[in-house]
Amino acid sequence: MNELKTENLSCKRGENAVLNNVNFSIKSGETLVVKGRNGSGKTTLLRILSNFITSYEGKVMFNDISIREDSLYNSKFNLIGQKNSLKENLSIKKNFDLWDILFNEALDHVKLLKHNNLYHLINRDVGSLSDGQKKYISLHRLNYKKYDLWFLDEPFVYLDEVNTHLLIKKINQFNENMGIVILTSNINLPKNFHKEINI
Amino acid sequence: MSNLIKRDLLLSFYSSANFFFTVSFFILVLILIPFAFGTQTDQLKNLFKGVVWIALALSIIITVDRIFNADYEDGNLDIIMQKNKTIEYLIISKYITHWFIYCLPLLVILPILSFLFYLDYSETIQIFINLFIGSFGMVFIANFVSALTLGARRTIFLKAIIMIPLFVPFIIFGSDAGSWPILLALSMLSFVISIYVTAYGLRLYGE
Repeated sequence: MNELKTENLSCKRGENAVLNNVNFSIKSGETLVVKGRNGSGKTTLLRILSNFITSYEGKVMFNDISIREDSLYNSKFNLIGQKNSLKENLSIKKNFDLWDILFNEALDHVKLLKHNNLYHLINRDVGSLSDGQKKYISLHRLNYKKYDLWFLDEPFVYLDEVNTHLLIKKINQFNENMGIVILTSNINLPKNFHKEINI
Repeated sequence: MSNLIKRDLLLSFYSSANFFFTVSFFILVLILIPFAFGTQTDQLKNLFKGVVWIALALSIIITVDRIFNADYEDGNLDIIMQKNKTIEYLIISKYITHWFIYCLPLLVILPILSFLFYLDYSETIQIFINLFIGSFGMVFIANFVSALTLGARRTIFLKAIIMIPLFVPFIIFGSDAGSWPILLALSMLSFVISIYVTAYGLRLYGE
């Protein structure tokens, strides 16, 4: 059973305080939806949770160990930021090859994409795809297996209805396998998403 | 560390145009010498020994955007930094791949070019040794400039303005035959500075 929690988390970016006393706790199998206005610090929160920003006040604990001190923590989460992490001048397939090396895990991408309408585009350059298609391909990183936590920054932006449902299904499946999901989004998600905080 | 090297090599193999561009750029800069200064053999020889350094410096400057900036702009740098918690390993693998992809081809082509400029065997060897040692130092400098200017997009001019003065010592000593110990010292010095400054730049990016 894993638990991620924050205690009185505050963070300043330059002069502005973007996060003010954020408290939450989330356990294996749960999803946390972070809501807030533009510029309220949703992305900052995810970057703190993924150890990119280390200058903050308060505590962030994973299984009661501060994430700044836990040397294994970095290999436990999968962060999907707002950028797609795709090379525009390469085909989808070649991008997958590059990811496989970075993630140190060889996935059967053909099998995973087979039932999606993107399958026949696998040899096309990423630059020629639409924003929604790029976003969907970028979310393909969630298929890498050995993670306990998913941090998703605005995952539903650009996605159409079908792909939104696919993603929600994927998140639910991950929760069933005792994974923790933290996502930022302003759209109204189905009621079966477990928790919500406003920052 | 080895994963990042493997990935960078595969990336440059996939977009192999990049790598031919730098070699052709290097050759073309050198080919300009006879056009600019005439074709008298003695003069050509001496000019070649100096201009080869300018060509190397320019080739490194045009590739500096590929070190960290390309990965920063598309978001891959997040993944790279997450997977390589020891940031110094990350930086050293970047040195290795950048040198391997963009400097090694130039060194391979160098003997052919020096033959075209009537340099004899021993002179070629001396230039080769100097370039081999000096190119490492220049790669170290290019890496830290790239890391420090991460947030600034499309600023190749800014980077060139920062890098050219730092390349001057290499160019001064590089054109002298037998000055490889000084180049080695310069390269080692820039390694020490570079690894520290690059790490600082990357940590700053994370913030």
